Amino acid sequence: MIIRKKEDNIKDSLRTREDIAVDVRSVSKKYRIYHEKVPSLKNTIIRGKRTTFEEFLALDDVSLTVRHGQTVGIIGPNGSGKSTLLKLMSGIIQPTRGEIIINGPMSALLELGAGFHPDLTGKENIYINAAILGMRKRDVDKKLDEIIAFSELEKFIDTPVKNYSSGMYMRLGFSVAIHVNPDILLVDEVLAVGDQAFQAKCYKVIYDFMKRGKTIIIVSHDLDTISDLCSSVAFLKDGRIQDKGKPLDIVSRYRAFVEEIEQKRIVEQQRAARRQIFKSVIEENRRIVSGEEISRLSNLSVDGQTLNRFGSGEAEITGIRIVDKSGEEIDYCKFGDSISINYDVLFKAQVEQPILGIRITDYRQNIIYGTNNRLQKVKSGTYRKGDRITVSFVFSVTLMGGEYSLSPAVGYNDAKTYCDWVNDMFSLNVIHNNAAEGVCDLSPKIRISKSRNG
Amino acid sequence: MFADIKKLFSYRELLISLTRKELKVKYRGSALGFFWSLLNPILTMLVYSFVFSIVLRAGIEQFAIFLICALLPFNFLSNSVNYGSGSIISNSNLVNKIYFPREILPLSVVLSNLVNFLFELAALFIVLAFMGYKFYLFLYILPLLIFIQFFLVVGMTLLVSALNVLFRDLQHLITIVMMVWFFGTPIIYPLSMVPEKFQPYIKFINPMTIYASYYRNIFYYVKYPENGGFPTVLETVTALGITILIFFIGYFVFKRLEPRFAEEI
Repeated sequence: MIIRKKEDNIKDSLRTREDIAVDVRSVSKKYRIYHEKVPSLKNTIIRGKRTTFEEFLALDDVSLTVRHGQTVGIIGPNGSGKSTLLKLMSGIIQPTRGEIIINGPMSALLELGAGFHPDLTGKENIYINAAILGMRKRDVDKKLDEIIAFSELEKFIDTPVKNYSSGMYMRLGFSVAIHVNPDILLVDEVLAVGDQAFQAKCYKVIYDFMKRGKTIIIVSHDLDTISDLCSSVAFLKDGRIQDKGKPLDIVSRYRAFVEEIEQKRIVEQQRAARRQIFKSVIEENRRIVSGEEISRLSNLSVDGQTLNRFGSGEAEITGIRIVDKSGEEIDYCKFGDSISINYDVLFKAQVEQPILGIRITDYRQNIIYGTNNRLQKVKSGTYRKGDRITVSFVFSVTLMGGEYSLSPAVGYNDAKTYCDWVNDMFSLNVIHNNAAEGVCDLSPKIRISKSRNG
Repeated sequence: MFADIKKLFSYRELLISLTRKELKVKYRGSALGFFWSLLNPILTMLVYSFVFSIVLRAGIEQFAIFLICALLPFNFLSNSVNYGSGSIISNSNLVNKIYFPREILPLSVVLSNLVNFLFELAALFIVLAFMGYKFYLFLYILPLLIFIQFFLVVGMTLLVSALNVLFRDLQHLITIVMMVWFFGTPIIYPLSMVPEKFQPYIKFINPMTIYASYYRNIFYYVKYPENGGFPTVLETVTALGITILIFFIGYFVFKRLEPRFAEEI
């Protein structure tokens, strides 16, 4: 339940309790998600009960204490429960468990221009909107000129708001909202209003508000604003408070979290794209070129076209991946990581002592490195039709940052002809601080000593 | 309940403001403004007058006046219920974004219809005065009568506006129920025309019968006292009891469902 108190009737509470503006005590909120689009009486009567639903825990045991005069920011990814928390504080919805105590008059800016009617003029809407936000008519009368001046809509104030642009609409809404003057202000992502100049004005108002010792709780994705304005920040994730404390700490932790999510998303995209390329381009471009001379093959072009895949096909490279030390498949690695490039080979005929190789090229097709088991003095063995093997090349990453291409190959014992060669089958992404140039990090130790003169 | 009334009182300016908005929006964009709202009852009156005094020849003197005295209070009820039923749903942007006592939304619809009703009555007074009706004889009953009917209207409107959030197809049902209610109330016919054995049902189940009878006695039967006669004490008390019952049902259903509004719309 939500308990609203005026300062004067808190008798029993301790001194420390009194300067608390908003006290959220282990609040949970469960939503019901109905499987039916529009609830109807007909269905209820036919089934005898309301439609089936799933429960969704939007907030899970959240506690938050905000003292008078504090500016608290709430950040978190979409769907983390930020807006639900604000709605609970403002009393729009009721918590499933726990309680929220509010001390002092409060106003919630969850939407600008709420209740504006398109047919009414700007001035008429000011009165309605102000009343909705809990402002008395005589206060509006007093502040009317101020509100209109702030919105910069003097010329259009007697025009119906249906003729307003969306910017004008928001400006009028914001202007009314900031003149309500509550002790506690809840703000949900509404500061991004109007042009630069108007935004500056909005921030000034918020600063003034803070200076006067008012309490502000602000939800925003604008992390710079949050770290600028707030004295404390809570990081919400999956309906739980993940972290709270000093704005800079929390914001940087949140940034790291967002980056990780973004990175994962990119990697997932790349993985999907690569799968696609492997399926279509490489398979289609496959050419059976049996018994060709290596000299001809190594310039990688037939009829002026770059050849992506060639070989007799007696052995086939069926897959490639990069794994880390723990065997986990990865899509990028950092300088210094130990990685393994693995590819799978399926033999379609008997092949004796095949040469299993890998080539790493950069985006300009410069060969960065290439090797095979023979050069490394590793015996490969003899394989019959139907045999499957996995070849691993374990490296320590000494490359500079960037994207590199991997080309695996299976060659015949004669070192001239190939069973299967796949160009640019996979890419290797290396992350590096790039505090150097070139393709390879030689990690020098630099010493500078003054030499004696003469 | 007292806490609710107290809270509602602290939000009175919002209630007034929204009522004003309802009225303004209704009459904005038409040069004749308020007079449009009179057009509807006048046209209804003309149609029924044509049917009942020219085609069917029911033999009721001054049928137009006879009809309008009961039609206006019933319109107050039916307009409030019809418009009020959607008042929560259609204001979803408010309900979702701002806290205020939700009963303000249906109440503002009822109040704007009340204001309308009062203007219509004022217009009716002018007509009656011209036609030599001594409508002022029993006029002292009118404020109390409107006050009591107001509770019936509020109860019904609260009930349907809250249920409509949970059952969106209620709207269709409401239209039908209001039509049945209209014909089940002696508006286009006098109660005396109803067969004896049905009269108790109409009188004791439907409080609007009693209120319509009061309105008609105040305005119309002052000229034809031999046909009229105020409802008995028993009838009045029953109507009052049902009104209070409907008011509390509406109120408690509304309060019970109120916390779910923001989630359901």
